[in-house]
Amino acid sequence: MDKQVTLTIDGKLISVPEGTFVADAARMADIDIPVFCHHPKLEPVGMCRMCLVEIGRPIRDRATGQFVLENGQPKIQFLPKLETACTNRVEDGMVVHTQSESAKAGQKSTIEFLLTSHPLDCPVCDKGGECPLQNLTMAHGAGKSRFLYDEKLHLEKRKPLGELIYLDQERCIQCGRCVRFQDEIAGDPVIGFDERGRSMQIMTSSEPGFDSVFSGNTTDICPVGALTTADFRFGARPWELEEFPSICSQCPVGCNITINTRREAAADGSMVIKRIMPRQNETVNEIWICDKGRFAYHYTESKGRLTRPAIRKDGKLSRASWDSAIKLAAENFAEAGKNFVVLASGRLANEDLFNLKSLADHLKGDAVLYSEIGGGELTSAIGISPDTNLGEVGPGTTLVVIASDLYQEAPIWYLRLKQAVRRGATLIVANPRQTRLDDHASYVIRYAYGDEVKTVHSLDKKNKIGEAFTRSENVIIFYGSEGLGVEGSAALASACAKLLNEYGFAGKPNNGLVGVWQRANDQGAWEMGYRVEADLPRFLRGKVVYLVGVDPAGDDPRLAKALENAKFLAVQDILESATSELADVILPAQAHTEREGTFTSGERRVQRYYPALPVLGETRPDFAITAQIARQAGFIQEGTSVSAAFDILSETIPSYAELSYSKLAEVQPQWPVVGRGDLYYGGTTYENKHGLGAHLTTTASRGENVHILRVHRESAPRPQENELLAVPVTRLYDRGTTVLPAKVLKNRIGKATISMHPDIAERLNVKNGGLVKISFDGHSGEALVQIDKTIPAGVVTVPRSMGLAIHEPVPAKVK
Amino acid sequence: MSLLQKYPAEVKQILSKYPADHKQSAVMPLLYLAQRENGYITGSAMQDIAETLDMTQTEVAAVVGFYTLYLDKKEGKYRMQVCTDLPCALRGADKFLQDLCGNLGIKVGETTSDGLVTIEAVMCLAACDKAPMFQIQSRDGLEYHEDMTVDKTMELVAALAKSGREVA
Repeated sequence: MDKQVTLTIDGKLISVPEGTFVADAARMADIDIPVFCHHPKLEPVGMCRMCLVEIGRPIRDRATGQFVLENGQPKIQFLPKLETACTNRVEDGMVVHTQSESAKAGQKSTIEFLLTSHPLDCPVCDKGGECPLQNLTMAHGAGKSRFLYDEKLHLEKRKPLGELIYLDQERCIQCGRCVRFQDEIAGDPVIGFDERGRSMQIMTSSEPGFDSVFSGNTTDICPVGALTTADFRFGARPWELEEFPSICSQCPVGCNITINTRREAAADGSMVIKRIMPRQNETVNEIWICDKGRFAYHYTESKGRLTRPAIRKDGKLSRASWDSAIKLAAENFAEAGKNFVVLASGRLANEDLFNLKSLADHLKGDAVLYSEIGGGELTSAIGISPDTNLGEVGPGTTLVVIASDLYQEAPIWYLRLKQAVRRGATLIVANPRQTRLDDHASYVIRYAYGDEVKTVHSLDKKNKIGEAFTRSENVIIFYGSEGLGVEGSAALASACAKLLNEYGFAGKPNNGLVGVWQRANDQGAWEMGYRVEADLPRFLRGKVVYLVGVDPAGDDPRLAKALENAKFLAVQDILESATSELADVILPAQAHTEREGTFTSGERRVQRYYPALPVLGETRPDFAITAQIARQAGFIQEGTSVSAAFDILSETIPSYAELSYSKLAEVQPQWPVVGRGDLYYGGTTYENKHGLGAHLTTTASRGENVHILRVHRESAPRPQENELLAVPVTRLYDRGTTVLPAKVLKNRIGKATISMHPDIAERLNVKNGGLVKISFDGHSGEALVQIDKTIPAGVVTVPRSMGLAIHEPVPAKVK
Repeated sequence: MSLLQKYPAEVKQILSKYPADHKQSAVMPLLYLAQRENGYITGSAMQDIAETLDMTQTEVAAVVGFYTLYLDKKEGKYRMQVCTDLPCALRGADKFLQDLCGNLGIKVGETTSDGLVTIEAVMCLAACDKAPMFQIQSRDGLEYHEDMTVDKTMELVAALAKSGREVA
């Protein structure tokens, strides 16, 4: 444990870790020192002067170093002026007065100065009602100003810093929290200060502006209404909003979020989502979320929602009752036997996946996860164990990222790994092309696409990197699917797992294998024994398929064709899709915002989400629909209580043993404190009152034998002379069904863009931004070209889910 | 043409003064080099510098914004910077500036229509006892003019105009 320092604040004796700042020490002891520029997650700057206090230090005898005593007590010396509590570190015997006459006068004057040019347009300001400046003015302000109101600066009130964040220059109090967040936390300093003194303003001169995937967080920590999001700007007043705890469904990180809703005339008086806010969970997302999680929620309110069951009659889908739809599905499933296939999405809850898997098992069918990444069963065997916390790992821990661009695929993991390096952890990034995480890596490994397994085999070689790996106390490997298909990623996972197991980096906290999955609950599916299928088009032909939360027909024409040739299709989903067009029966499901459930994150943390919106139309939760089908097929499943379904799951699946809804809802005090009305300190992030979730055990952590199959795989295909090797890469903002309906992200999503080396572009005679035709595997499409000198020669990167159906590395022609 | 291409030796010499892992420390001398080129720092020069030093363009622009001696837009050939701090004001700098502007037909911060002179009010130039005073900043460097009157200044402006024409 860190060395403790004891000091007195307002007569209260407190002990805090050495190195703590006075402002934070006071907060730990529930004493309010008002701040604007200080933020517990940022380095102190002392810019706003709001935290002025009197600080006294014990006098030491110069000869002996001992405290000088007066009446038996150390003699305390105060400076003749006030000091900032945010920049002074605690010292033994320190005495702090936050409420003395001079400290109060200092705080009061600072508010008066800050308001000399603040517009006080609170009645029309988005921040009004949750504004630190408003709150601290009420608590510490003078009420009247000695300055001339006429001399207030009149500046731009609607300055877009990028298409997602607007700046109101008049409201800004120049605390620099946003600038420092982008620099220190996000590592993307694209906003800065222009001019100085009274002319100082936030600006960007980067191209394309404030384009950072963490930009929304600056609006949470902005202590005034200077920064607002394009999505929520003038959207609602904070006090009109209801708050519901939830888990982000966009990626495997599992960020804790709060969904704010309000009744809206534009939606005929029903409840709609107004904004997504981060909810504190220091072991997962701290107090941050990425812009995709913040802005891509619109899909659940899309006009294309499926709201009633339907059955195909005479070639046409027509409305049906739930009973007849379920009966039809159950009859076909039961008849199919071995030909029955559940094709499920990692967007579903654990309870849904569990019921689906046990239905498939009961009918002797197959349960397949719709994913392009293989090897997930190994994360269940030697994945991350309980008590792992990426927010605390430091010296002695080596983090390896291979075949993944975390900034694009799981932005909050990028943040967490970057911060771990700051604390002293070793980071090895291996990828064929440059990624954002390279800037923070201790070692960067470049390999050729196709050499992933070879790269893993060389991680324990006798060189610097090998030493960093083998001599580490803890190792976590994040493996992804950059340039890989199902088989390639499975081979990579197997190589990683073997290495971790060999060196004992498994079965204990802060060790193990993590998959950078495509969806929020892919991990849950792996835990429950789903598998992935490399050749889906061939596999699906002639089958009776229960498609849940997936749209293969929309993703790939070859899959559409395979589904057309399937025997029977039951489509259970929230949105209309190319796949639902082909359905024999449609089972409309509730979105995760409308129901209760749990997700298992890539870090193997099970977390609960709660309903935020009323149920839409006749929709039902997925686990209940499956249970009704099972019952019809003569098999009892839990279909009414989601927590009871979870109990059965935890009794059946070893890694979930002893977990329950009440255990997942447990909370513990977290640092820094947020919420509780202290918005000035941590920002508008919500306090976690509904559960921090719990980690799953692994085969290794339970002390059971781990068996790792060696997966053989041929290296990447060799393109012909006039071809390039097309490799799949994952982008944050893609054209997936859960992203595309967010109009605010339209420019970020953009068009399909393929990247290539300048030499290749020259050979093909294409310019940066030019339109080309790319064809591979009997499939072709148009794409824009981005010239990027970090792409290996002979390769063209093709983004997934952008209209080009790429699943694995393939030779391609580009014209 | 980028700065690096045009002045490779000078850029190299500037970079050599700073440790390779702190090369962003070279931002100020490189900005001076860029300013010398056009009399002000262009957006593309900032981009060049940002790329050379592994900084974002915003970070470079923030340095330009912070220091008053860096210019980010084209101004007069000669920047006449009049000190208006308290001691100078007591010796009539305010009135001097006002009358000078009146004579030149421009406001503080503006440039004469022939693009010759920009008038600016600045903070202390450390010559209080010789106010009214100003410095002239141009490609030729810095020049102090002390104990000035409006008439003397107008003569100076005429001389500058003439010399400028001769150069051109």
